[in-house]
Amino acid sequence: MSTTRPPSSPVPAAPVTPADAGPVAAAADRPGTQVEREFTIRAMSSRELITRRFLRHRGALGGMIVFLTTIVLAFSSIGVAGIPGWWGLDYASPATVVEGGRMSLDVMPSFLDGDGLAIGRHPFGQDDIGRDYFALTMRGTQISLMICLLVGLLATLIGVLIGAAAGFYRGKTEAVLMRITDVLITIPLLVIAAVLGANAAGSGPVVLAAMIGLLYWTTLARLVRGEFLSLREKEFVEAARAMGASSGRIIVRHILPNALGTIIVSATLTVAAAIILETSLSFLGLGVQAPDTSLGLLISSYEGAFQTRPWLFYWPALFIVAIALSVNFIGDGLRDAFDPKQTRVRA
Amino acid sequence: MFVVRRLAVSFITLLLATFVVYVLVANAGDPLGDLRTDPSPNRDDKIRARIDDLNLDQSVPQRYVTWITGAGTCLVPGGGCDLGKNVRGQDVSTLVGQAASSTLRLVLIATILAIMVGIALGVVAALRQYSGLDYTTTFSAFLFYSLPVFAFAVLLKQYFAIRANDWLRDPRIDVSTALALAVLSGLAWGALLGGDRRRRWIVRGVAAVLTFGVLQYLSAVEWFRRPSLGPVLITVLAFAVAVGFAALLAGLQRRNVLYGALTMAAIGSVAQFAVIPFLEDRTWATWTNIALLGLLTIAVGVGVGWAFGGLDKGQAIRVASLTGLVTGGFMVVDIMLRSVPDYSRSQRGRVFATVGSNTPDFQGDFWQRMLDLSSHLVLPTISIMLVSMASYSRYARASMLEVLNQDYVRTARAKGLTERTVVVRHAFRNALIPLTTLAAIDFGAVIGGAVITEAVFAWRGMGRLFVEGLIQVDPNPVMGFFIVTSVAYVVFNMLADIAYAYLDPRIRIS
Amino acid sequence: MAVPDREREPAPTGDGTRSRRAPRQRAEGPLLQVENLSVDFPTEDGIVHAVRGVSYTLTERGVLGIVGESGSGKSVASMAVMGLLPKSARISGRVLLEGQDVLRMSAPAQRSIRGRRVAMIFQDPMTALNPVYSIGDQLAEAVRSHEAVPKRVALSRAAEMLDLVGIPRPKERLNSYPHEFSGGMRQRVMIAMAIINDPDVIIADEPTTALDVTVQAQILETLVEVKNAVNAAIVLITHDLGVVAGLADHVLVMYAGRAVELGSTREVFTAPRMPYTAGLLGSIPNLDTQGGRLRPIPGAPPSLINLPPGCPFSPRCPLAIDECQRTEPDLYETDLRMHTAACIRWDTMADLPDPRTIFRPTAVVP
Repeated sequence: MSTTRPPSSPVPAAPVTPADAGPVAAAADRPGTQVEREFTIRAMSSRELITRRFLRHRGALGGMIVFLTTIVLAFSSIGVAGIPGWWGLDYASPATVVEGGRMSLDVMPSFLDGDGLAIGRHPFGQDDIGRDYFALTMRGTQISLMICLLVGLLATLIGVLIGAAAGFYRGKTEAVLMRITDVLITIPLLVIAAVLGANAAGSGPVVLAAMIGLLYWTTLARLVRGEFLSLREKEFVEAARAMGASSGRIIVRHILPNALGTIIVSATLTVAAAIILETSLSFLGLGVQAPDTSLGLLISSYEGAFQTRPWLFYWPALFIVAIALSVNFIGDGLRDAFDPKQTRVRA
Repeated sequence: MFVVRRLAVSFITLLLATFVVYVLVANAGDPLGDLRTDPSPNRDDKIRARIDDLNLDQSVPQRYVTWITGAGTCLVPGGGCDLGKNVRGQDVSTLVGQAASSTLRLVLIATILAIMVGIALGVVAALRQYSGLDYTTTFSAFLFYSLPVFAFAVLLKQYFAIRANDWLRDPRIDVSTALALAVLSGLAWGALLGGDRRRRWIVRGVAAVLTFGVLQYLSAVEWFRRPSLGPVLITVLAFAVAVGFAALLAGLQRRNVLYGALTMAAIGSVAQFAVIPFLEDRTWATWTNIALLGLLTIAVGVGVGWAFGGLDKGQAIRVASLTGLVTGGFMVVDIMLRSVPDYSRSQRGRVFATVGSNTPDFQGDFWQRMLDLSSHLVLPTISIMLVSMASYSRYARASMLEVLNQDYVRTARAKGLTERTVVVRHAFRNALIPLTTLAAIDFGAVIGGAVITEAVFAWRGMGRLFVEGLIQVDPNPVMGFFIVTSVAYVVFNMLADIAYAYLDPRIRIS
Repeated sequence: MAVPDREREPAPTGDGTRSRRAPRQRAEGPLLQVENLSVDFPTEDGIVHAVRGVSYTLTERGVLGIVGESGSGKSVASMAVMGLLPKSARISGRVLLEGQDVLRMSAPAQRSIRGRRVAMIFQDPMTALNPVYSIGDQLAEAVRSHEAVPKRVALSRAAEMLDLVGIPRPKERLNSYPHEFSGGMRQRVMIAMAIINDPDVIIADEPTTALDVTVQAQILETLVEVKNAVNAAIVLITHDLGVVAGLADHVLVMYAGRAVELGSTREVFTAPRMPYTAGLLGSIPNLDTQGGRLRPIPGAPPSLINLPPGCPFSPRCPLAIDECQRTEPDLYETDLRMHTAACIRWDTMADLPDPRTIFRPTAVVP
């Protein structure tokens, strides 16, 4: 019962992890082989591998879910930019304070002296002038999210540009760019952000985000520069050059894709750091200011009422932590996906 | 030469940075804003006075030059320090002088503690990878990383200070709390000491029972009202520390080192009867004396180590000196604890302070003042520490894991070295190297954290100068803040670089 | 576990003279006997059977070459002998060092053997030394972890060893750091570290793979000198047949975690009785052949997690028959003395004039 078959599947292009590869294909074209053993490997592109590894990271997955839920909740509940949301109350209209502004949210089942799952009219309570706190928190979340995403985007773009230029071209360009970076690094982030915040005071959160993003790129620039410095020495760059590729093409098509992992991870962590930064600034009074609101501002406004109405502190704090934590987990998952460490051995 | 060059570069960088900050602050709004809407009759006089004080008639770059030349006088020894005036006409350099000490105190203590605890946790987590301890430390690190300092500070302030102070009025631990704490303690010790399942359960059980017993005893004796360590406990701790250091740094097989450490502990236990009364006395309690006693301890440590050391004199000396210093530390703790009742009385029962860096116009002896400073430091330090600790433990864990996989660790094992030697002498030493870089970066974050914490706890520190200066569009105090913090930052960076060079011979210039 | 202490001459002066150490009193019988050693690693994807029942014997001053591809289990087997495998590894079998089973010893006992009676040299010299300590410190550490001697005595022995392996100006070099040495020099330092306690067995795991060809020859020469100087036996693990041919008296060929051929070097090279060995030999490029293509063995080694039944080499073997896929052959004794092969058709191999030709596509295979 001998059959002849050509050698099976091609050699995989990407590094194949043990989880993906079955037993290696056996060449079965020998005269004399009685039984053929045919196993195939499915070659996976790097992108598939990375996605797969990311999805296996439970923390990152959870982070993704929480983050997306928060975004959806914040923007759909009270609407944004004129588009209405499904939550009846808005964040700016004062009203009469009901029941001392208590939370009407109740999750205690009835046998434990509660009302079962009830949302009530003011699930997060009300502030001093009767505004619905849920709406306020959602608005604060919206603004904080907008700012941190914008800051992340700007800082990444600028950081990549500067880092790439410095790392690739070296020489004078690098010297100048790095000196500028060094000067800015000497100034602690909070200081820079605060100073910029003061400058942007009253101009709205977008301006604030822009200003912070414009000066927040230093860590990323250093990182990207480091990556470019090492990548430009690799043989594939020499090869591309030998084939006549222009510098721009080399940067964009060859080096950048390889540095992408580090950049994406860094960008994610920048977003997480940005939200902490923005809320801290708002807390100090140097960030988002009235009439807009921010989670940090909410906390600072109602700090005094903590003893009697602690929920005014807890809800904004919870949202800040939820966003920062989920983004941090996503960042960690990305880091693992791009650069996996040893696999787990069950002892 | 290397150092001089670095200093020069840092100096120039600093100069440029000051210019950037100055321009940004000066442009951040209208410095006369609040006065323009002032209804008082002498408004115009006030405006003119402020213009005069702050040179507002000049352009921003000119003002910068004025400022920088004034600041330059600080570098000249003997010359006064002119950092300008703030919007209220006060001299900034005086303000800075007062504020700097409290801020630097906070920042330094928080950094040192964060480094020690963070690295320890990270290393242990790496050694016990995938264990419960590992997951807990990793998750906590994530959590603290994502928790804004101000939120945590506010939380601490409200809960800790108020509830804790209330509890101190009637410091008893009820049985359910004691049980809960005992269980937690058991779990913690089990995680720390590791080992196989059976051993872990034994450790947990023993720890839980001991903790419960101790807590009940403390509660019954109302220890928290009149705390102290007492001679018995100090002696026990001294010997425990001796064994601990010997085990960690040399391995218990090196009997010489162990005996030297134990001797040191014995000496300390006896010495406490002389040292404690000596230091408690008002006239003798000074920093100088404490420092002298510290040096004396080291000298004795050297002697004992030398005598017992045998083949490992260096190690014996180190272990003995450390044991001595830590025992001395316990004595200091004892004295401070015994000063608590008096202090509590003077503070009307509110031992944990939440406002300010110290009680204004505090009258008390050396130890009372130390206690005052400490109680005001506790909460802010914890607030700042946690985020730093999170960073350090994550990086230490990652670094340690990477090092443990290196070939030279395998070589060390192949030489037949004990696991302890492999981990402490080979792996740990190498794992520390990238952490110095982290330390330099983290310091900037600590400074930022200090600004926020000072705001929450109402300290009259540099942070307040900074925030108020910004809000009032007043560059001079902000620059004062910046100068002090950036000098501290540069110094710290330099220390980190030196540490790096010390740890890693590859980058030393021959 | 009383090990007779060596007799030592008074501490050497460290001026480069090679001290003569009195030969040890050794027990009767072979020095190292590995019996049925098996190593399993549990992983996320299943249990990896890295080593499956390997046995060999090493006599005093003997040189055993262990040959195999990556993944054949040769390194893992030796790490098991040293006790350097991670805690998750499941090891079975016996490793008798002068009659005492190393695998059954307590951890401290194992540690006292490691680095003293059995020493190991690793593959990559660039990363095998700790970069933050001087080599003098690292060598002295190797001495002082087994013997209570003052540091300067350990250092002088270190200098002596450096001289033995051919490092110039040994006393000055004690204070140098590893990054100040080239690859070849670092490997010499590793050899010095391995012999500094007069081991009985030196396991060299691919000691020359990471080095230039010219340096390779020097290192191998140093190994031989050193072996003679300290009266040690060597286990030389490599995938380079040339290295084995030059140095080893006996060869153990490993495939898929098992020994598939064991015999004297001359016999195994000239008269292989296992097709895999023939394939290895046939794949060596030869300066004499005119033109023609390189002849690797087609296919790849099997996964060690899900081993198919029967001989693991059969999918690639030109001599394979039905029987080969039913049961995995043990090491059969062949017509040659002390030469075993794990092949049921070893007699067919014996009849072939040039066994290396069976892998050629034009071969007519019986």
